[in-house]
Amino acid sequence: MTSIDVHELTKDYGSTRAVDHLTFSVRPGRVTGFLGPNGAGKSTTMRLVLGLDRATVGTSAIGGRPYVSLSNPLRRVGALLDAQAAHGSRTARNHLLALATSNGIAGSRVEAVLVEAGLGSVGGRRIKTFSLGMRQRLGIAAALLGDPEVVMLDEPSNGLDPEGIVWIRGLMRKLAGEGRTVLVSSHLMNETSSFADHLVVLGKGRLLVDMPMREFLASRSRPGVRLRTTESTRLREVLIRKGYEPAQDDDGRWTVDGATTEEIGVLAAFEGIPLLELSNVQATLEEAYLDLTSTEAEFTATTPPAATTSPTADQEA
Amino acid sequence: MTTSTTAVLHSEWIKITSVRSASGSLIAVFAATLLVTVLTFSTVGRAEADNPGNDLLFFAFYALNFGQIAAISFGATALSSEFLNGALRISLTAVPGRSLFYAAKMAVIGGLALVVGLITSFTSFLVGQSFMGEYTIGLGEPGTLRAAFGGGVYLALMTLFAAGLTAVLRSAVAVLSLLIPFILIVSFVVGDIAGGVAQYLPDRAGQLVLHQSAEGSLGPWTGLAVTAGWAAVALLAGWWTIRRRDA
Repeated sequence: MTSIDVHELTKDYGSTRAVDHLTFSVRPGRVTGFLGPNGAGKSTTMRLVLGLDRATVGTSAIGGRPYVSLSNPLRRVGALLDAQAAHGSRTARNHLLALATSNGIAGSRVEAVLVEAGLGSVGGRRIKTFSLGMRQRLGIAAALLGDPEVVMLDEPSNGLDPEGIVWIRGLMRKLAGEGRTVLVSSHLMNETSSFADHLVVLGKGRLLVDMPMREFLASRSRPGVRLRTTESTRLREVLIRKGYEPAQDDDGRWTVDGATTEEIGVLAAFEGIPLLELSNVQATLEEAYLDLTSTEAEFTATTPPAATTSPTADQEA
Repeated sequence: MTTSTTAVLHSEWIKITSVRSASGSLIAVFAATLLVTVLTFSTVGRAEADNPGNDLLFFAFYALNFGQIAAISFGATALSSEFLNGALRISLTAVPGRSLFYAAKMAVIGGLALVVGLITSFTSFLVGQSFMGEYTIGLGEPGTLRAAFGGGVYLALMTLFAAGLTAVLRSAVAVLSLLIPFILIVSFVVGDIAGGVAQYLPDRAGQLVLHQSAEGSLGPWTGLAVTAGWAAVALLAGWWTIRRRDA
């Protein structure tokens, strides 16, 4: 199977370091969310992997080989970098046909991906008449054109309507389920948490996190439970007696920090208190991410200025 | 690089012919030249020919001055469509071999310009001469075939010159605002003043192939070769830029 391997990858634009000694691998069969604020170096990393920009230091490879050495690369790797890049005066069909032709991909794939991306009826229209969401779908269609083992999508849900977002989520899950390698960048945490299995998080060009999403969330969450009961008063007394600090929310539910569902469930059963709801409280990806970046901010603030190049000057495209 | 050369050529063909501004300016090479030919020759053609000392052969290709503006526009827009909104990134993800990509693109641009240029040159010559009555030059007369053929090659070379410059400057607007005033004004003015050196300017040198008799040190073919040299330098500079720069 085909992985994306990035090793010590570094890119300087003048005096700005956009990507700083990145090393990570993107494995097949799962969706890897590529996170970080705007200017963190996500797009730059993708361009470096695709051989569009030249690395200052370090290497990247697709299935062990540099992208530029792949023959008919669209059959190995499909990428969406910027939905605005397709030339407006071409029709969607001609845009895809030119790409397919260059890589010896059958013309029938053009119609197939147009239909798959929901553009089946507008293939003959000029791209400049497309909305941002339609351009995004066209970019995804182009990425799927060569039936590639590796799919790299930069902010794919940009401009998509709610229906499109559900579609792209399902598509990414399907591609990973078929054993493909899927790397999806985003700065939207809730969106990413809905499809990613694994996370690679960048901050100022450096690797902050490379771990399964579940592990990341657990590492950034304090244990706690939420529950609903018909006998609030009795339960509260019992919990306080056991040393917990239950707190009632506005909606009538109780939150117990530092507890697990196992402890509370067994305790309530022993006391004969009916529980209507009982669940573990886990940080959302957004909370976990903000927790991470707040600790990172402390770290970067104490680092000498040389390592903290301005992220605003980053050439994020 | 094992991406097939013919596949990349075919792909570039689709890309150029599916962009209106590029195919439009290619058609304009023919249309503008023919239109100016008809307008000029049907009105002042014979009067001009009556002027003693006029190079009738060169005059026969007068309208190429307008066709070359369209040819330059074609070369520039065919390349500049790659530099809009990062379109080059899409192209280079499909064809990561930059030399192959560039060579294929230039081959298609040059080939199209040569075919259209030859058709334009021969057609406008024949159409123009049909208005000339007693002053008509036939294709069989000395230098005529060479001039008509050379005129087509000249248009192709100017197209490639503009295309190479566009690859360097990454903007059709920059190239057009550089080349068109140059050809319309600078070359015209400097050419009359400076004499010797001016004949080596790309348009001046190449147009020597259209003359009945050359006066300077350059002959018709060597003149065209000088223009080919200009085009080659621009193409190499463009190649170097495409290879070197981040997309």
